[in-house]
Amino acid sequence: MPVRTGRMHEFLLETTIASSVYFLTVAFTFLIVIPVQNILFPEYPSRASLLFLPHGVRVLSAWLMGWRAIPALLPGVIAAFVYVAGWDAFLPSRLAAMVVAVSVAPVTFFALRAAGWNLFPAAGRSPCWICILVVGAITSVLTSALTNLAFGTSAVEFVAYLIGDMSGLFFGLLALIYLFRFVDRPR
Amino acid sequence: MYKISKLAELRKLVHGMERSLGLQDLSPVERDLYYAASELFEDDRQVRTVGLIEHSLLTDVSRPTFFRALRSLVSKGYLSQCASANRGCYVVNQPKF
Repeated sequence: MPVRTGRMHEFLLETTIASSVYFLTVAFTFLIVIPVQNILFPEYPSRASLLFLPHGVRVLSAWLMGWRAIPALLPGVIAAFVYVAGWDAFLPSRLAAMVVAVSVAPVTFFALRAAGWNLFPAAGRSPCWICILVVGAITSVLTSALTNLAFGTSAVEFVAYLIGDMSGLFFGLLALIYLFRFVDRPR
Repeated sequence: MYKISKLAELRKLVHGMERSLGLQDLSPVERDLYYAASELFEDDRQVRTVGLIEHSLLTDVSRPTFFRALRSLVSKGYLSQCASANRGCYVVNQPKF
Protein backbone atom coordinates (compact mmCIF):
# COMPACT_ATOMS: atom_id res chain seq x y z
CA MET A 1 0.00 0.00 0.00
CA PRO A 2 1.49 3.42 -0.91
CA VAL A 3 2.57 5.52 2.09
CA ARG A 4 0.08 8.32 1.44
CA THR A 5 -2.84 5.91 1.01
CA GLY A 6 -1.78 4.08 4.15
CA ARG A 7 -1.72 7.31 6.17
CA MET A 8 -5.13 8.31 4.84
CA HIS A 9 -6.48 4.87 5.75
CA GLU A 10 -4.98 5.18 9.24
CA PHE A 11 -6.44 8.67 9.67
CA LEU A 12 -9.90 7.55 8.55
CA LEU A 13 -9.72 4.61 10.93
CA GLU A 14 -8.66 6.87 13.82
CA THR A 15 -11.44 9.33 12.99
CA THR A 16 -14.06 6.60 12.79
CA ILE A 17 -13.02 5.07 16.12
CA ALA A 18 -12.53 8.33 18.03
CA SER A 19 -15.74 9.96 16.76
CA SER A 20 -17.82 6.81 17.23
CA VAL A 21 -16.59 6.29 20.78
CA TYR A 22 -17.16 9.97 21.56
CA PHE A 23 -20.72 9.90 20.22
CA LEU A 24 -21.53 6.62 22.00
CA THR A 25 -20.27 7.95 25.33
CA VAL A 26 -22.36 11.11 24.88
CA ALA A 27 -25.42 8.99 24.08
CA PHE A 28 -24.67 6.80 27.14
CA THR A 29 -24.44 9.93 29.28
CA PHE A 30 -27.78 11.34 28.16
CA LEU A 31 -29.68 8.05 27.93
CA ILE A 32 -28.37 6.29 31.05
CA VAL A 33 -26.23 8.42 33.36
CA ILE A 34 -28.35 11.56 33.62
CA PRO A 35 -31.69 9.75 34.08
CA VAL A 36 -30.13 7.57 36.81
CA GLN A 37 -28.55 10.65 38.37
CA ASN A 38 -31.93 12.40 38.40
CA ILE A 39 -33.44 9.44 40.25
CA LEU A 40 -30.58 9.12 42.76
CA PHE A 41 -30.02 12.84 43.37
CA PRO A 42 -33.33 14.57 42.58
CA GLU A 43 -32.35 17.66 44.59
CA TYR A 44 -29.08 18.09 42.68
CA PRO A 45 -29.42 21.59 41.12
CA SER A 46 -27.21 21.18 38.05
CA ARG A 47 -28.18 19.53 34.77
CA ALA A 48 -24.55 18.53 34.18
CA SER A 49 -23.64 14.85 34.32
CA LEU A 50 -21.62 13.70 37.33
CA LEU A 51 -20.04 11.01 35.13
CA PHE A 52 -19.02 12.49 31.79
CA LEU A 53 -17.17 9.77 29.88
CA PRO A 54 -16.65 11.89 26.71
CA HIS A 55 -14.03 13.89 28.61
CA GLY A 56 -11.97 10.72 28.93
CA VAL A 57 -12.31 10.15 25.18
CA ARG A 58 -11.09 13.69 24.47
CA VAL A 59 -8.09 13.43 26.79
CA LEU A 60 -7.01 9.96 25.66
CA SER A 61 -7.47 10.86 21.98
CA ALA A 62 -5.29 13.94 22.42
CA TRP A 63 -2.67 11.94 24.31
CA LEU A 64 -2.52 9.26 21.63
CA MET A 65 -3.00 11.36 18.48
CA GLY A 66 -1.78 14.85 19.32
CA TRP A 67 -3.12 17.44 16.88
CA ARG A 68 -4.79 14.74 14.81
CA ALA A 69 -7.28 14.33 17.66
CA ILE A 70 -8.94 17.58 16.54
CA PRO A 71 -10.15 16.40 13.10
CA ALA A 72 -10.57 12.86 14.44
CA LEU A 73 -13.04 13.95 17.14
CA LEU A 74 -14.77 16.71 15.20
CA PRO A 75 -17.40 14.54 13.41
CA GLY A 76 -18.30 12.87 16.72
CA VAL A 77 -18.52 16.19 18.55
CA ILE A 78 -20.72 17.73 15.86
CA ALA A 79 -22.97 14.65 15.85
CA ALA A 80 -23.17 14.76 19.66
CA PHE A 81 -24.16 18.44 19.68
CA VAL A 82 -26.83 17.81 17.02
CA TYR A 83 -28.07 14.82 19.04
CA VAL A 84 -28.39 16.93 22.20
CA ALA A 85 -29.41 20.33 20.82
CA GLY A 86 -30.85 19.62 17.38
CA TRP A 87 -30.16 22.29 14.76
CA ASP A 88 -29.46 24.79 17.56
CA ALA A 89 -26.09 23.04 17.64
CA PHE A 90 -25.03 25.43 14.90
CA LEU A 91 -25.68 28.57 16.96
CA PRO A 92 -22.47 30.61 17.42
CA SER A 93 -22.18 29.79 21.16
CA ARG A 94 -22.42 26.05 20.48
CA LEU A 95 -20.01 26.20 17.57
CA ALA A 96 -17.58 27.87 19.97
CA ALA A 97 -18.21 25.08 22.49
CA MET A 98 -17.44 22.49 19.78
CA VAL A 99 -14.12 24.16 19.05
CA VAL A 100 -13.34 24.15 22.78
CA ALA A 101 -14.35 20.49 23.11
CA VAL A 102 -11.97 19.27 20.40
CA SER A 103 -9.02 21.60 20.84
CA VAL A 104 -8.37 22.16 24.56
CA ALA A 105 -6.92 18.73 25.32
CA PRO A 106 -4.35 18.68 22.46
CA VAL A 107 -3.38 22.30 23.19
CA THR A 108 -2.86 21.38 26.86
CA PHE A 109 -0.63 18.40 26.02
CA PHE A 110 1.47 20.47 23.61
CA ALA A 111 1.69 23.40 26.05
CA LEU A 112 2.90 21.04 28.78
CA ARG A 113 5.45 19.55 26.38
CA ALA A 114 6.69 23.06 25.55
CA ALA A 115 7.01 23.65 29.30
CA GLY A 116 9.20 20.54 29.61
CA TRP A 117 6.61 17.95 30.68
CA ASN A 118 6.25 15.67 27.70
CA LEU A 119 3.57 13.05 28.31
CA PHE A 120 3.09 11.87 24.74
CA PRO A 121 3.70 8.15 24.12
CA ALA A 122 7.29 7.36 23.23
CA ALA A 123 9.32 4.21 22.75
CA GLY A 124 10.91 3.02 25.98
CA ARG A 125 8.77 5.27 28.19
CA SER A 126 6.09 3.91 30.48
CA PRO A 127 2.89 5.95 30.28
CA CYS A 128 1.96 7.72 33.53
CA TRP A 129 -1.76 7.36 34.18
CA ILE A 130 -1.78 9.74 37.13
CA CYS A 131 -0.15 12.37 34.90
CA ILE A 132 -2.96 11.81 32.40
CA LEU A 133 -5.49 12.38 35.20
CA VAL A 134 -3.69 15.62 36.08
CA VAL A 135 -3.90 16.74 32.45
CA GLY A 136 -7.54 15.70 32.52
CA ALA A 137 -8.11 18.03 35.49
CA ILE A 138 -6.30 20.93 33.81
CA THR A 139 -8.21 20.32 30.58
CA SER A 140 -11.48 20.12 32.47
CA VAL A 141 -10.91 23.47 34.20
CA LEU A 142 -9.96 25.13 30.91
CA THR A 143 -12.86 23.55 29.03
CA SER A 144 -15.33 24.51 31.75
CA ALA A 145 -14.02 28.08 31.90
CA LEU A 146 -14.14 28.51 28.13
CA THR A 147 -17.54 26.82 27.85
CA ASN A 148 -18.84 29.10 30.60
CA LEU A 149 -17.65 32.05 28.53
CA ALA A 150 -19.62 30.71 25.57
CA PHE A 151 -22.79 29.80 27.49
CA GLY A 152 -22.53 32.02 30.58
CA THR A 153 -23.30 29.18 33.01
CA SER A 154 -23.09 29.37 36.81
CA ALA A 155 -20.40 28.38 39.32
CA VAL A 156 -22.47 25.33 40.32
CA GLU A 157 -22.29 24.12 36.73
CA PHE A 158 -18.54 24.76 36.70
CA VAL A 159 -18.00 22.46 39.71
CA ALA A 160 -20.36 19.89 38.25
CA TYR A 161 -18.43 19.87 34.96
CA LEU A 162 -15.18 19.32 36.86
CA ILE A 163 -16.60 16.41 38.88
CA GLY A 164 -18.19 14.86 35.81
CA ASP A 165 -15.05 15.20 33.69
CA MET A 166 -12.71 13.75 36.30
CA SER A 167 -14.99 10.85 37.19
CA GLY A 168 -15.52 10.26 33.47
CA LEU A 169 -11.80 10.04 32.81
CA PHE A 170 -11.11 7.85 35.85
CA PHE A 171 -13.98 5.44 35.30
CA GLY A 172 -13.29 5.41 31.56
CA LEU A 173 -9.76 4.17 32.27
CA LEU A 174 -11.16 1.68 34.77
CA ALA A 175 -13.59 0.41 32.14
CA LEU A 176 -10.66 -0.03 29.73
CA ILE A 177 -8.89 -2.25 32.29
CA TYR A 178 -11.82 -4.65 32.29
CA LEU A 179 -12.31 -4.36 28.52
CA PHE A 180 -8.67 -5.33 27.88
CA ARG A 181 -8.88 -8.07 30.49
CA PHE A 182 -11.94 -9.44 28.66
CA VAL A 183 -10.28 -9.41 25.23
CA ASP A 184 -6.97 -10.72 26.64
CA ARG A 185 -8.47 -13.77 28.31
CA PRO A 186 -6.85 -16.96 27.01
CA ARG A 187 -8.88 -19.02 24.56
CA MET B 1 12.11 5.56 14.80
CA TYR B 2 9.64 2.72 14.66
CA LYS B 3 5.97 3.36 14.78
CA ILE B 4 4.39 3.01 18.19
CA SER B 5 1.05 1.25 18.23
CA LYS B 6 -1.62 3.43 19.80
CA LEU B 7 -3.45 0.41 21.10
CA ALA B 8 -0.27 -0.88 22.75
CA GLU B 9 0.28 2.52 24.38
CA LEU B 10 -3.29 2.60 25.65
CA ARG B 11 -2.85 -0.89 27.05
CA LYS B 12 0.37 0.12 28.77
CA LEU B 13 -1.38 3.13 30.29
CA VAL B 14 -4.26 1.13 31.74
CA HIS B 15 -1.83 -1.59 32.76
CA GLY B 16 0.01 0.98 34.89
CA MET B 17 -3.29 2.00 36.45
CA GLU B 18 -4.25 -1.63 37.01
CA ARG B 19 -0.99 -2.26 38.83
CA SER B 20 -1.26 0.90 40.91
CA LEU B 21 -4.78 0.03 42.00
CA GLY B 22 -3.85 -3.61 42.69
CA LEU B 23 -6.45 -4.92 40.25
CA GLN B 24 -4.31 -7.25 38.18
CA ASP B 25 -5.06 -10.99 38.02
CA LEU B 26 -1.49 -11.70 36.93
CA SER B 27 1.53 -10.89 39.05
CA PRO B 28 3.38 -7.72 38.01
CA VAL B 29 6.21 -9.75 36.45
CA GLU B 30 3.79 -12.05 34.63
CA ARG B 31 1.93 -9.09 33.18
CA ASP B 32 5.14 -7.29 32.17
CA LEU B 33 6.30 -10.47 30.52
CA TYR B 34 3.01 -10.90 28.69
CA TYR B 35 3.01 -7.31 27.45
CA ALA B 36 6.65 -7.61 26.39
CA ALA B 37 5.78 -10.77 24.48
CA SER B 38 2.77 -9.03 22.90
CA GLU B 39 5.06 -6.23 21.76
CA LEU B 40 7.81 -8.46 20.42
CA PHE B 41 6.02 -11.22 18.59
CA GLU B 42 6.37 -11.53 14.82
CA ASP B 43 3.76 -12.47 12.21
CA ASP B 44 3.74 -16.07 13.43
CA ARG B 45 3.05 -14.80 17.02
CA GLN B 46 6.27 -16.41 18.21
CA VAL B 47 8.76 -14.86 20.61
CA ARG B 48 12.08 -16.07 21.86
CA THR B 49 13.17 -16.11 25.48
CA VAL B 50 16.36 -14.24 24.57
CA GLY B 51 14.37 -11.29 23.22
CA LEU B 52 12.04 -11.27 26.21
CA ILE B 53 14.83 -11.21 28.77
CA GLU B 54 16.32 -8.16 27.09
CA HIS B 55 13.03 -6.24 26.93
CA SER B 56 13.04 -2.92 28.82
CA LEU B 57 10.07 -3.99 30.98
CA LEU B 58 12.02 -7.01 32.25
CA THR B 59 15.57 -5.79 32.69
CA ASP B 60 15.24 -5.59 36.49
CA VAL B 61 13.73 -9.08 36.83
CA SER B 62 16.01 -11.86 38.05
CA ARG B 63 16.44 -15.00 35.94
CA PRO B 64 14.64 -17.33 38.39
CA THR B 65 11.66 -14.92 38.66
CA PHE B 66 11.58 -14.51 34.89
CA PHE B 67 11.43 -18.25 34.25
CA ARG B 68 8.91 -18.79 37.05
CA ALA B 69 6.65 -16.15 35.47
CA LEU B 70 7.17 -17.72 32.04
CA ARG B 71 6.05 -21.13 33.34
CA SER B 72 3.08 -19.53 35.07
CA LEU B 73 1.96 -17.79 31.87
CA VAL B 74 2.20 -21.08 30.00
CA SER B 75 0.13 -22.83 32.67
CA LYS B 76 -2.48 -20.04 32.57
CA GLY B 77 -2.67 -20.24 28.77
CA TYR B 78 -1.34 -16.79 27.96
CA LEU B 79 1.71 -18.34 26.27
CA SER B 80 2.35 -21.78 24.84
CA GLN B 81 5.47 -23.53 23.68
CA CYS B 82 6.13 -23.55 19.94
CA ALA B 83 4.92 -26.65 18.13
CA SER B 84 8.37 -27.12 16.64
CA ALA B 85 9.62 -28.08 20.12
CA ASN B 86 12.18 -25.36 19.69
CA ARG B 87 13.49 -24.55 23.18
CA GLY B 88 13.13 -20.95 24.21
CA CYS B 89 10.33 -20.32 21.71
CA TYR B 90 6.81 -19.36 22.80
CA VAL B 91 3.57 -18.52 21.01
CA VAL B 92 1.64 -15.51 22.32
CA ASN B 93 -1.96 -16.59 22.46
CA GLN B 94 -4.19 -14.22 20.57
CA PRO B 95 -6.76 -12.27 22.52
CA LYS B 96 -10.33 -12.65 21.35
CA PHE B 97 -11.56 -9.60 19.46
